[in-house]
Amino acid sequence: MAGQNTRFYLDKEHGKFLGVCAGIADYWGVDVTMVRIGTVVSPFVIGPLVLLAYFLIAFMAPNRPRELDQLAPAEKEFWQKVRKNPKRSARMVRGRFRELDRRLADVEAYLTSPDRRLAREIDSLR
Amino acid sequence: MEDVLIPLIVMPILFVALPWLILHYVTKWKVNSSLTGEDEKMLDELYELARRLEERMNTIDRIMQADNPGWHPLGYDPTRPSLEKPSVSDFEPRRSAEPTRQERM
Repeated sequence: MAGQNTRFYLDKEHGKFLGVCAGIADYWGVDVTMVRIGTVVSPFVIGPLVLLAYFLIAFMAPNRPRELDQLAPAEKEFWQKVRKNPKRSARMVRGRFRELDRRLADVEAYLTSPDRRLAREIDSLR
Repeated sequence: MEDVLIPLIVMPILFVALPWLILHYVTKWKVNSSLTGEDEKMLDELYELARRLEERMNTIDRIMQADNPGWHPLGYDPTRPSLEKPSVSDFEPRRSAEPTRQERM
C-alpha cells in the first residue's frame, strides 16, 4: 500500500550479511554501526526472538530498487524524515511555501511601492 | 515450591508481556506513520514544487539585487554579500538525469 519511498528495503549493497541492518539504517537515516551493534547485542538482552525477526525480515522484505540510488542527498534525507514522522515533514513543506510567500511578497511590495513608481516615472521622462 | 514458582513467573513474562510490549509499539508506530500511497505521491509533488519555486525565487532575488542596488532579499546577510549564493537556499537538483526547466516547458 505504501508508495516506493516509504517502503522498507533490504540494502544488500551496503550490508554485511543480508542487508537488514543497512536497510534499517537507510530507512530512518541512523548510523549503520549502531544498528549492527544493537542487532548483535539484543538477542542476549531481549531474547532469541530477535534472531527470528532478523531472518523473517531478510526473507520477506524486497530488495532496494536501483532508482533510489539516484536521489539527491537532500531528497534522501527528506524521505528519511518522512518515514520517521510524516506529519512533521508535511509541516516542513508548508513552512517552505510560507517562506516563499514572504519572499515574493517582499519583492512585490518593493516593486509596487509609491516611491519606486515615482522614480520610474521620472526616469521615463528623462 | 520454588521450582514451580519460577517458571510460573518467567513463562507469562516471556510469552505474554514481551510480545505485548513489542506489538504495542508496533501498532503505535503504524498509527503514527500511516502514510498512504496517495499521500506519499502528494507529498513528493509538493516537495518538488517547493524546490522548483524556490529556485525561481532565487533567480528573481538575484535579478532584483542586480537591478536595484538598494534592495536586498529577505534574510540577506550583509557579512556575506554574494549574488551567486542567496542566503536562503539549501537546494540541489533532484535527479542527475532530470531534464532542465527549458526542456520541460
